[in-house]
Amino acid sequence: MKFSLGYVRLCTAILFSIGIGAYAGAADVKIIVNDGAGISAISYDDLKSIFLLTKKSFSDGTHAEPVLTRGGVAHAAFLKRYLGKTEDGLTSYYRNAVFTGKGLTPKTLASDAEVAAYVAKTKGAIGYVGSDAKTPGAKTIDTK
Amino acid sequence: MKLLKKIGLLLWAAVPAGLSAQQFNIAGHPVQFHAFGSQGFAYSDDNNYLTMPTSKGTFAFTEGGLTLGSQITDKLRVGAQGYVRNIGQMGNGQLTLDWASADYSFRDWFGIRVGKVKTTLGLYNDSQDAEFLHPWALLPQSTYPLDLRGETIAHIGADIYGDMQLKKVGHLAYTFSAGSVPGDLHGGYVHGLDKNNRHIYSITGTMIGADLRWTTPVKGLLAGASLNWQTGDAHGVDAGDNTPYDRDVLKNDTVAFYTQYTLGNLRLDGEYRRNLRVTETTSVDSGILGTSTRDLDSRQGYVSAAYRINKWIQLGAYHSRYYVDWKTIHSLPTNHIFDQVVTARLDLNRYCDFKIEGHFIDGYAASSADRGFYSVDNPNGRQPNTRVLILRLGFHL
Repeated sequence: MKFSLGYVRLCTAILFSIGIGAYAGAADVKIIVNDGAGISAISYDDLKSIFLLTKKSFSDGTHAEPVLTRGGVAHAAFLKRYLGKTEDGLTSYYRNAVFTGKGLTPKTLASDAEVAAYVAKTKGAIGYVGSDAKTPGAKTIDTK
Repeated sequence: MKLLKKIGLLLWAAVPAGLSAQQFNIAGHPVQFHAFGSQGFAYSDDNNYLTMPTSKGTFAFTEGGLTLGSQITDKLRVGAQGYVRNIGQMGNGQLTLDWASADYSFRDWFGIRVGKVKTTLGLYNDSQDAEFLHPWALLPQSTYPLDLRGETIAHIGADIYGDMQLKKVGHLAYTFSAGSVPGDLHGGYVHGLDKNNRHIYSITGTMIGADLRWTTPVKGLLAGASLNWQTGDAHGVDAGDNTPYDRDVLKNDTVAFYTQYTLGNLRLDGEYRRNLRVTETTSVDSGILGTSTRDLDSRQGYVSAAYRINKWIQLGAYHSRYYVDWKTIHSLPTNHIFDQVVTARLDLNRYCDFKIEGHFIDGYAASSADRGFYSVDNPNGRQPNTRVLILRLGFHL
């Protein structure tokens, strides 16, 4: 019986830790844009539309180029919070655009560092990274 | 020889899969390439289905495509897709240009596509070839008949399109289309007409279409409506006595309503269509050249549910209904095809999927509106009920 109670407590602690970790992950993402974009904030709607390829420019008229990260905590948090799509759903969405001639797959990079570097050097680029990531040359913007 | 042809088709589509990147440069412009292919097996208990000898079991169920696309400027994108299929009597392994278009986006709410453009009609008309995008081995055949894809898949002309944010009431995407409809001489329509020594040698047509797609403020809920007005002419000859055979589609009007609801891993779809079709056939009967007219009021639609259990497995079911002519008795097997389907999709990795699907079909539709169960493929007559097992292995990148 003692063993069972200990086992339950251990499992509860592990699950709780995982839950806290997942929650922390969901909060741990920031949106970055190239310095040339004349915006300091973006609405949830506009951000979602840019990544779903239905909106092609920022509110100041600058052409927007979304950049994705291939997996990772920030990627998972971004999908859940801003796009409301699963990984599978987003992949299908982009493939649908590609094979029907209605869009191209956005650039997808391997890490936060690569995303930050690409956004810093590419006019109109917008991406997401972990909140602790260093993003020299890129501008962090608010979401509203 | 046929098997070699199939392997060749798959290799043709698979070669890019061995490359490490899906992009290369031409004159400084990055060009994306993507490919897909699938090989199926179909077995039915009695009637032969979709021009395949399914009653004996068949692997004559192969298709593939290769897509290229490039963003030339911020506003201009170009792309093209080659497509090949060998499904029963359809396609014959001939490479076709599925679409090739230039797309210029002036504003988010206003853009133009010109060239050979995939037609937007209902939820999946423009993506019906890409089996990996769907849970099903076969999309609901009432609405997306594999054998008649050539009738609606693309038009040569232009689309005007856009997406408007409606603030608190969601988004509205619109598409207006106009152009000519390239005839498919290797599709089901010709296969159905091409009997008793008759040979169809040309099909032409025109279309005007519209689609409104509303992403509602309710999370995951989409609703829309499409219109498609077509005309078409098929010209042929009766090889027996070398007399002409022409079938003019004077009217082929479709109105479609559709909805989709996604909640996490659950996806629910529903579509309804009404098709009004008037055809005029000119042929020699008993030595006299005559003309006959026929009008049909067809109804079709389906409801479906698919649930992804985990990243490897998705399960689904749909019920699909097609009525040849709403004015005629619905219960006649010659006047309807009802299809109940259960499916399991296994995603083997990022690039490969395998589907197992069971179809329980009631009815076979009338010979004058051949689809699915062709009289020419079932010379001993058609049975009212058919069970079909379909296995399909697909890849994409």
